[in-house]
Amino acid sequence: MFDSVLIANRGEIACRIIRTARRLGLRTIAIYHHQDRRAPHVELADEAHIIEADVPTAAYLDIGQIINIAGNASASCVHPGYGFLSENAEFAAAVEATKMTFIGPQPEIIRLMGDKNQSREFAQQTNVPTAPSARQKGDLDALLADATRLGFPLLIKAVAGGGGKGMSIVHNEADLVDCARTASSEAARYFADGRIYAERYIERGRHIEVQILGDGKGDAIHLFERECSVQRRFQKIIEESPATSLDHELRCRICETAVNMAKNANYRNAGTVEFIVAPDGEFYFLETNTRLQVEHPVTELVCGVDLVEAQFRIAATGELPWHQEDIRQSGHAIECRIYCEESDGTFLPAVGTVKVLNIPDVPGIRFDGGIALNQTITAAFDPMAGKLICHGTNRNAAINLCERGLNEIVLLGVNNNIDYLRGILKHEAFKAGRLHTEFIKEHTSTLIPDGPNDSEQTALLIAAALDVDNIRTLIFDTPEPYASIGDWQN
Amino acid sequence: MEFTFELNGEEHRIGLITRKPRLTLSVDGRVHHVSDVILKNKDQLLLTIDGHRHTVWRARGDDHIHLKIGPGSFTLKYKDPLQVAQQSTDGDDVLKADMPGVVVSVHCEGKTPVVSGDILMVIESMKMQINIVAPRDGIIEAVQVGVDQTFEKGASLISLEVEN
Repeated sequence: MFDSVLIANRGEIACRIIRTARRLGLRTIAIYHHQDRRAPHVELADEAHIIEADVPTAAYLDIGQIINIAGNASASCVHPGYGFLSENAEFAAAVEATKMTFIGPQPEIIRLMGDKNQSREFAQQTNVPTAPSARQKGDLDALLADATRLGFPLLIKAVAGGGGKGMSIVHNEADLVDCARTASSEAARYFADGRIYAERYIERGRHIEVQILGDGKGDAIHLFERECSVQRRFQKIIEESPATSLDHELRCRICETAVNMAKNANYRNAGTVEFIVAPDGEFYFLETNTRLQVEHPVTELVCGVDLVEAQFRIAATGELPWHQEDIRQSGHAIECRIYCEESDGTFLPAVGTVKVLNIPDVPGIRFDGGIALNQTITAAFDPMAGKLICHGTNRNAAINLCERGLNEIVLLGVNNNIDYLRGILKHEAFKAGRLHTEFIKEHTSTLIPDGPNDSEQTALLIAAALDVDNIRTLIFDTPEPYASIGDWQN
Repeated sequence: MEFTFELNGEEHRIGLITRKPRLTLSVDGRVHHVSDVILKNKDQLLLTIDGHRHTVWRARGDDHIHLKIGPGSFTLKYKDPLQVAQQSTDGDDVLKADMPGVVVSVHCEGKTPVVSGDILMVIESMKMQINIVAPRDGIIEAVQVGVDQTFEKGASLISLEVEN
């Protein structure tokens, strides 16, 4: 096993990796931009090194500085987390050019899977079904003509994309040109690569993905599936395992397809193969994410494993920690992603300072957080504040635990989607498992959180009034005694 | 004396009726008796209103009051009469940033006419692109920020010439 690790990340996932690394006895090395100097991952790590950059996100993308810090700190391996450099083949190659180990797949696999055209071709070669698509071979007009022939609705995606950026659904030919131009310009902006492609959009499809582990030598196992159909802006907000919709036969076929693809690629370390499952049960390859996923904890809870530990063990030994028959699904797990955003249905990002943070300590409820009290949530980084993950004996039990967790979490000072998430969990269609990728769009009008009831509203307004200095002074700090009022104690 | 608060886009008025022998307040014209006001700790307030006990988690933001009661969290705004008077002089003439971000593209220039609804600028904030739209017909006075420039919350982005 390694004796130390540099975590090339921040926030929730950096904290998550540090926890397992410390349990395994590794010295943990964090990096941070000045703006993150009071962030929890800096506090949690054994040591922390600053990266200089004018723009905060650029710091966590600066391969040269990160490799230097890792070398100077004598790190024996580098864990990229998710986002930032986690799917950057140059970074993986730069780490491997030193004596350090990269915790992830081979650079050439990252490159192959990162290019959506190439990864789809690879899938087709290994008999993994893909949705009918049109690739950009020449200019945009040629792509649009091919796309039109596929028929609508279409999904426009960035070849170098991910995270919902540069993606849009096009319902008719009239909108195609505009959507394609916007997608291409967003893709150029986010991924420095304006190439896009179009594929048949599967309506009312379910997003099903399979967690895989590979040894890099042709062996691979799966840790079953996750369902991530509840999305807004093409980003997942509630994930669960097992998927409610899959029968045993379909689950086995999808998981086997993913494992075969990993074996054929000589895939190394943890990855996720994503599929869209059509209402008729046909499934199509979407993409492979060559890293740990945000939603990995639901797999950990139902399989009783620590995926970060598995990543370290595979990287250290070149062997898989388990045989396929060792892996069992037990109970049901649900993850709710807590974002700092408006919950009025616009999902606009919110900024502010975390003034009150109270996390319930309840068996069966796990909170993977990356924010601290008094931390300022700015526009500089992704607005995810943390994840609530619950494990119950069955889906209803997991839903109940999540609702309880969301009821009890207190996060004040910055607007967030906690009430919105609770609304989804309570929704009759969610409880019935009627999920698909347009769930939120379909139920928009019934998902806006309830306002306070009359008695709560009165209490809120009185509490607010007592928070305004001059009103409080008017009520309390006057010569007359306020006989029957309890003390305003501090 | 009455005070105005905004909750979920609606204005509510609170008035002080009596401080003794017991605290009596009016909320939107209805009378309520407050028998206990206890700060359990700096984050939690216990209130007994008309005989019902409420626990309220509280936090003061820059210009908002964040409260949690029962399962739900709410943001209220105190409409300070002084500030309200100041804001009304700004009106529609200056388009300000609701949150910090960076300018992606500018689609207008100074001294040119625009029509209500025109997209004047595209900004990016927290990885989302947002259109800055003309709130009324008018003439652009000045564009305060250029492409790739960053700005803070509340910064002026574009100003329109004041209408006579």
